[in-house]
Amino acid sequence: MIDYLLLIFRILVFPGFTFILLLTLFCDWIERKIEARIQNRVGPMVAGPAGILQPLADFIKLLTKEDIEPREAKKLVFRYAPLAAFAIMMFAFCFIPIDGGSVLSFGSTVGGFNGDLIIILAFATIANFLLFLAGWASCNPYGTIGSARVLTQFLGYDIPLFLLALTPAFIAGSLQIANIASAQATTFLPFIFLAPWAFVMFVITMQAELEKDPFDVPHSESELVGGLETEYTGAKLAFLHLTRDVQIVFGSALVVELFLGGPYGPVFFGPSWIWYSLWFVLKVIGVVLISEYITTVVARFRIDQVLSGNWRILLPASLISLILTVALVTWVYPLLV
Amino acid sequence: MSNNKIDILNVVESKLGSKVQIQPGHLSTGSIIANNGLHREVLKAMIEADEKTGIIAISGLDLGENLGVYYHFRTSNALVTIKTEVPKTNPIIQTIIDLHPGAAFHELEVTDLLGVIFEGNKPEGHFVLSEYWPQGVYPLRKDVKANEIKLSPPQETNKPAEDPRQVKIIIGPQHPALLEPEKFSVTVDGETVTKVEPRIGYVHRGIEKASESRTYLQDVYLVERICGICNSIHAAAFVEAVEKIIKVDIPPRAKYLRIVALELNRLHSHLLTLGHAGLEIGYETLFQYFWRDREPIMDLIELTSGNRVYSSLMAVGGVRRDIRAEDIPKIKSVLKTLRGQLPFYRQIYTDEPTLRLRMKDVGVLSRKDALALSVVGPVARGSGVDIDVRKDEPYEAYAEIPFKEIVYKDGDTWSRMNVRMDEVEESINIIEYVVDHLPSGPIRLNLPRSVPAGEAVNRVEAPRGELFYYVKANGTDKPDRVKVRTPTFANLPSFLKTAIGESIADVPANFVSLDPCFSCTDR
Repeated sequence: MIDYLLLIFRILVFPGFTFILLLTLFCDWIERKIEARIQNRVGPMVAGPAGILQPLADFIKLLTKEDIEPREAKKLVFRYAPLAAFAIMMFAFCFIPIDGGSVLSFGSTVGGFNGDLIIILAFATIANFLLFLAGWASCNPYGTIGSARVLTQFLGYDIPLFLLALTPAFIAGSLQIANIASAQATTFLPFIFLAPWAFVMFVITMQAELEKDPFDVPHSESELVGGLETEYTGAKLAFLHLTRDVQIVFGSALVVELFLGGPYGPVFFGPSWIWYSLWFVLKVIGVVLISEYITTVVARFRIDQVLSGNWRILLPASLISLILTVALVTWVYPLLV
Repeated sequence: MSNNKIDILNVVESKLGSKVQIQPGHLSTGSIIANNGLHREVLKAMIEADEKTGIIAISGLDLGENLGVYYHFRTSNALVTIKTEVPKTNPIIQTIIDLHPGAAFHELEVTDLLGVIFEGNKPEGHFVLSEYWPQGVYPLRKDVKANEIKLSPPQETNKPAEDPRQVKIIIGPQHPALLEPEKFSVTVDGETVTKVEPRIGYVHRGIEKASESRTYLQDVYLVERICGICNSIHAAAFVEAVEKIIKVDIPPRAKYLRIVALELNRLHSHLLTLGHAGLEIGYETLFQYFWRDREPIMDLIELTSGNRVYSSLMAVGGVRRDIRAEDIPKIKSVLKTLRGQLPFYRQIYTDEPTLRLRMKDVGVLSRKDALALSVVGPVARGSGVDIDVRKDEPYEAYAEIPFKEIVYKDGDTWSRMNVRMDEVEESINIIEYVVDHLPSGPIRLNLPRSVPAGEAVNRVEAPRGELFYYVKANGTDKPDRVKVRTPTFANLPSFLKTAIGESIADVPANFVSLDPCFSCTDR
């Protein structure tokens, strides 16, 4: 009985829903603040100390706004696609080890199952597809073109993303994300040192997958106004924004789990889960900083440049990386350990 | 170039001889009276003689019985006006767009505002006026009574069915890429632009008409309101035209003070555009940096003129405010700081790989097209056409000031932006030279408020290119006609040409490289 209560607590409060939401809003604040400082602005200042409550304030404000639906829109998809995308991203998050085990860890297990790496990558793809549907259903030319770009972009970049995600899986010898993370803890050697080239490419691919500069063509406001969000207002827009923020944190968390040793790190005193959560948050923020830095110092690519960059450069490179990894894992790394 | 030696009036005289009436020295280089369709012959002769022949503007005038259609042309070294008249009862004249495609917009504007019909260039609906404007009422004619105009909703017309594969994206009148209202219907096939249909006139305020009912003193401030960014250059162009009618030479110190105001204008306008271009290609950091460094220049405008945006410095006969000696070190120190920033910006504009990807080979306008479409300013100079009014026909004291004319050859968005980048440095040089060599003496002449009858043309180099004013005085204290041709109006056709066949993603980057100003365009 107590186990089940604990599981419900884990899902709803820590490290589940509430924690992930707070982490998302916090990362959103960090992003905005960093971007502002790089651009010589001050960023959020008013809501809370140093504006830390600004993302939450924006979210609540949007919830209170009038909800307008275009007459032409396909109502069912238009209403529920943003919610479904948000839900599926939160579900995917449940497999990520945060305080030593994932949200769904039960009793002494670390949670998840063999192959859940593939599952959560698929969930991320489905969420993107739902966002595409959301824009498509709004029946607005900007929304249509914006979502068509989302589709072309994530279809292209999913392939190198999957191939690159296999690199840590091969090194760890497991497709279970919790095992991949703990494999780096037992050898005290995060995979970023074993496969630095894969890390760099993974971060770039993630940038494209999350539609951040220089790959944010679906959101380029100078051409497409709001892209797929153009017709959205009120609570639906709030959930679209939140989904996007969760995606960003999810992407960073994935980088942390696969290349930066997951939540594991030194435990100095007290219970280990506090330290693990702290290391996890710090590492996620580190990845967010890297990605935000890339965002601010480059211009946006054109959609054809984004696509040719994928098929001509990133895809062949990730194939080579996979072959290299397999070779290293088979013949070289056993000599090191 | 050898072209600089051509005496265009001699050429016309030797070709057409007694058929046309040539008045050398009238309206800048000279004017040619060519009625009954001869204006086409004159233009043909001019284009044959000088490849840089381009249209500046077409001024339509109400002359009582007749309507005057004045074609203002520039050649490599002259400004020639071809004067024609058509009867008001049957105002039909042959078009020149087959000889010079750049004239299309100018003709449409005269049709809309004055009712002159150009055979071969028939407008569809209104060009600058509102759709609600009644048919057959032409606002620039003198017999129009404002209180009798009845606005009515436009009639619905049956449009032909459109190809369903082609999506129409409407950019504007309200759109994040446009800072001012104007509509462009962009037809796209997938991501490729196949057609651009402009609709201007959303901010048409009738300033040309309004200036006819105000005194010269009021008009100086009225024409300043045409454009918020390049306001002092509008005022300067107008007062210079009026001074040409009065035939008065203003004191040298006033000339130098005007140059300071004009170059500060150019400086902040270029910095604005260079930053705005960053925004359009998704480079927000560049945008924020440029606008941060533009702010001290705005402070300098306030320091020298007393106003931050609308400087209101120009007056007929001089300027209204002097620069204090103790302000000169301040001006120099601000300019020195900006100069220190320039290598960083230049490095971004020349070397940053993502910026190059978005700007190189985007919106390429060849030198031939640039000449045919009569583009002006940085757009022309980015396409290898070396026109700069400050060099070609120096006004104020520009003849005494050393500066370089920036020309890039490639004709793409990147070269247009780099022309501006280099001109920022030239502007700093000019201002520094001017404040170092300020002559002493009065800053303003006291002139009577009435202006003797006469007419004058004047052109100046605004930040966006050549700005043209035609002023006709009738001996009272109010002008008879003020014609303004703004640089964006001349540059717009080039965008319609270069956008075809490009990706929709290139439209904003291409467009911003014209530095469009719609308040100017619509007046």
